[in-house]
Formats: sequence, structure tokens, C-alpha cells
Amino acid sequence: SGELYCSLPNPRNVRFESINMKNVLHWSAPEGTGDGVLYKVKYSVYGVGKWIKKPECRNINRTWCDLSRETSDYEEQYYASVKAFLNGTCSDWMETTRFNPLTDTKIDPPMVSVSSTDRSISITLTAPEKWKRSPEEESISLLQVYPGLLYNVSVLNKKTKKRWFFSISNNTLVVPWLEPGTAYCVSAQIHVTTPLLDSGFSKEHCIATLKDK
Amino acid sequence: SVAEIRAGFAAIKANIQSRDPIRTLSVLSHPRSLHKVKSSDRCCVAHHLLTFYVDKVFKHCKTEDSFVNRKISSIANSFLSVRRKLGQCREQNNCACGEESTEKFKQILANYEGLNVTSAAMKSLGELDILLDWMEKSR
Repeated sequence: SGELYCSLPNPRNVRFESINMKNVLHWSAPEGTGDGVLYKVKYSVYGVGKWIKKPECRNINRTWCDLSRETSDYEEQYYASVKAFLNGTCSDWMETTRFNPLTDTKIDPPMVSVSSTDRSISITLTAPEKWKRSPEEESISLLQVYPGLLYNVSVLNKKTKKRWFFSISNNTLVVPWLEPGTAYCVSAQIHVTTPLLDSGFSKEHCIATLKDK
Repeated sequence: SVAEIRAGFAAIKANIQSRDPIRTLSVLSHPRSLHKVKSSDRCCVAHHLLTFYVDKVFKHCKTEDSFVNRKISSIANSFLSVRRKLGQCREQNNCACGEESTEKFKQILANYEGLNVTSAAMKSLGELDILLDWMEKSR
């Protein structure tokens, strides 16, 4: 294919980094090469015969390439590969391991909103959306992608430092029998049972119950 | 259970898949074998596949790594118990095999037999997450 003799060291640590199925290929520059290295990227669908070039990531000097669009079908699995060029020579193609968007993505914490009465707080949780090509495209909640998705909710009484944990499958929770005029802090995590995936906990959302009437 | 199979496979996935250099062929997912299986056929296809893995795949997946071998045998045992549960469905006639599912399973067998037995078995083992994703989605 008219390839040059490739004596350049290879790109290193070629891997997908995926959050909410925004799937970005990352790599490190070949060892010992300074500035001026350029790269090109190709990808393939596992089980299908051909490698496909990614034109937007041809002759680039950055060390990442967004392949979300090309890997958006999460019923498929993928490989991607990177080649480096410098001063007329090149490296070998360096491949990722097999990438499965469904099991290999990381999930952001849920959005948390809270409201309160004098003796209870109401918590509403929203799962993050799957990456989408454009704002106009229909949103797909990760709840639709992972039917077994649960929420782990932590509620902390700021005065007594007592903490409760709840595991719920629907997205609303009312915590009753609380103390009036007291601050409570809520944090939540997404837990998918299979495949096994956990988000981090969201930052805390604090609210005070109303004072006694 | 399926969760145990998942956990076991996750521990050896990179190792097993790195032993399969053939990117251009898949046993389970191409051409579109497991996709779009009718819901009425899913039990039957699942039972066929569990039997396929027990009878044709695991026994040909010996490696030089004892940790990997232990994980493979624990996955195989989990398959036996999942298949036993599914067998109960068959006994209650809830596991009918339609023409389409028979065709799909034939395609999978043809993909498998298109490779030498060790490569085919290792490739099939490396595709366990495709099977599990499909089984989970079909529940």
C-alpha cells in the first residue's frame, strides 16, 4: 500500500475512554519523539471485514480522536488503531483491545433535586443521557440502555451526622419522619447490576426541613 | 447466575480476547446472528447457545494460565446451572423453537465450524459479553 519503512517508535497506551457512551480514542506519543509527530486513525467493527479511516483524525498532532459517532451502536464491538508519522518515517499500527460500549463505558452520577416540608424531604433523580450526535437528536436516557439501573441514595442529618442509605429503582424518593428545621444532605449514585457498572456519587445537595408551624 | 458469569468473564476478558487475532469474523454477532431474535424464539436460542458453549466451547479453551483456567471452569459451571433452569422452561413447553431461531443458530454453528476448533472456541469464549448482553436485553 505504498507504506514507508516504519522505524518510528509506536504510539503507546492506545485505548478508548468512554463516559456515557461518548467514546474517545486516546494514546500517548511514541517514546522519545518531541513535537511534530502526526497521526492517523482507523477503526473497525468486530466481526466485519474492513478497517475504516477516520478522515477528521488524519494528519492530526493531538493524541485523541472522538469516535463516538462511529461507535454509537452499542450492540456492536469495536477496535481502533493509530499510526504515527515524523520526518518521512512512520510507526506500526497500534490497536486498542476490543471495545464494548455497553460494558466499557463509565457512567456519570445522576442529577439530584430536593425539596422539603417540615418533616420530610423529596428527592428526584435523573439518570444521565447517552451521548448523542447533535442537540437535535432524540435523547436516550441511560435508563433505557440499562434496564437494570438502580439508584443508591445517601441522606445525611447534618446535626446528628446520622446517615441513611436507600437503593431504589424508580427515580423519586420521599424520606419521612425527619426533624423540623434541620439540614439534610443528599448524594446519589447509579448502580447497574448487569453488566456491573457504578457511577461515582453526585456532589451533596443540602436542604433544611421547614421549622415546626 | 448470569452476574457470576459476567464477573468471571470480566476478570479474563482482555486475556481471552487477546488470544483471538481474527477481527474480521464473529461467531455470535455477524452476520446479525443474535440481533433481532423474535421474543418468542429467545428461550430456545438461549438454550441452544448455552448447550453450544457447554458442549463445544469450554472444553477446547485450555490455557497455560491457571488463573484463567479456573475462571473458565467456574464460568462453565455457572452455564450448567443457568441451562438447568432454562431446561425447566423447556419441560413446561415454554421454549418453542421457531424456524427463524433454528436458522440463526445454524448461522452461529457455521461461523464456528468455519474456524479450526481451538480458534473457534477461544473466539466464542471471547464473545461471552455479546451473549450476556443479548441475554440481559432479552430478559
